[in-house]
Amino acid sequence: MEKLIYAIVQPLTDVYAINLLLSGIPGVSETNLYALFYNDIAVVVSDGVILNEFVKKEMAIDFARVIESLSQQLTLLPVRFDSLLPSDAEATRLLSQNYTAFRNNLDNVKNKFEFGLKVLWDYEKGIEKVKINMESANENTNNCITSSSIHANYLLKKIKENKLDNALRDYIEQLKKEFVHDIAIINPEYNFNKMITANLILDGVFLVDKSKKYEFIQAVGNFKKNHTELHFLLTGPWPPYSFVVCPMV
Amino acid sequence: MIQENIIDKSKDFTLLELLDRVLNKGVVISGDIVISIADVDLVYVGLKILLTSVETMQQRQLMMVKPNRNISN
Repeated sequence: MEKLIYAIVQPLTDVYAINLLLSGIPGVSETNLYALFYNDIAVVVSDGVILNEFVKKEMAIDFARVIESLSQQLTLLPVRFDSLLPSDAEATRLLSQNYTAFRNNLDNVKNKFEFGLKVLWDYEKGIEKVKINMESANENTNNCITSSSIHANYLLKKIKENKLDNALRDYIEQLKKEFVHDIAIINPEYNFNKMITANLILDGVFLVDKSKKYEFIQAVGNFKKNHTELHFLLTGPWPPYSFVVCPMV
Repeated sequence: MIQENIIDKSKDFTLLELLDRVLNKGVVISGDIVISIADVDLVYVGLKILLTSVETMQQRQLMMVKPNRNISN
């Protein structure tokens, strides 16, 4: 029977301990979880019963619940929900062939949480603020192009749009730098995506040492106080979903 | 004073964030899935894509044939 793969884990001290842990956590659709071992790592699997049913949102939530429960006891690498392998032997082969990558990633995320931070703004108000900051530059542009022909107007419009784009990018980059500076003492690993939509200007994920959880939350709180025009959505702590870099063999 | 209350705990947003992580992040194992109907292989997709399409179809209240899914060789 096909196997649903949940996570690559660094096991507890012995096989008995991890099996005891897994026996208390139901898998997707109430399947039994078990671990397959290779050297000092293991993969947590269950029978892939979802193959016989439509995939429902609740299954993805059950899957996440398993990872959340495991992460409270073990260092782990979450596996994406759609991961099925044909047999236990294939799952063990996955461990053996990617052992070094899995070990390196496990070492990287050990004793760490992930936090997510989304920064949103009111696009109309935000862009007005950016425009005010670049007004003087526009005056220079207006002075350069004195003709009022259709071509000149078109050119002027395009130059202004370009300047606005650049000013917007600069503003977001500056915001990112400011936040990174504020959390430097916590020293998290991080990744940012910028300008995802007109309203979502920054989407960051942070790998934070468990001992620095409250310092990180405090830093976000302080940053928020200094930017009342922005809206912050902080989530976590999560298992380290966004910090897995494992090219599969 | 610790400001843990700044963590967003609204149900919808947390669920969205959770699903984004479970479906799009983590170790990616390319388990190739073939969707077939009446022994004819139709589409070569991952479960993630099927999850989306099933929900979309349910929203549109379309009738659909339940496919068989197999792991390909």
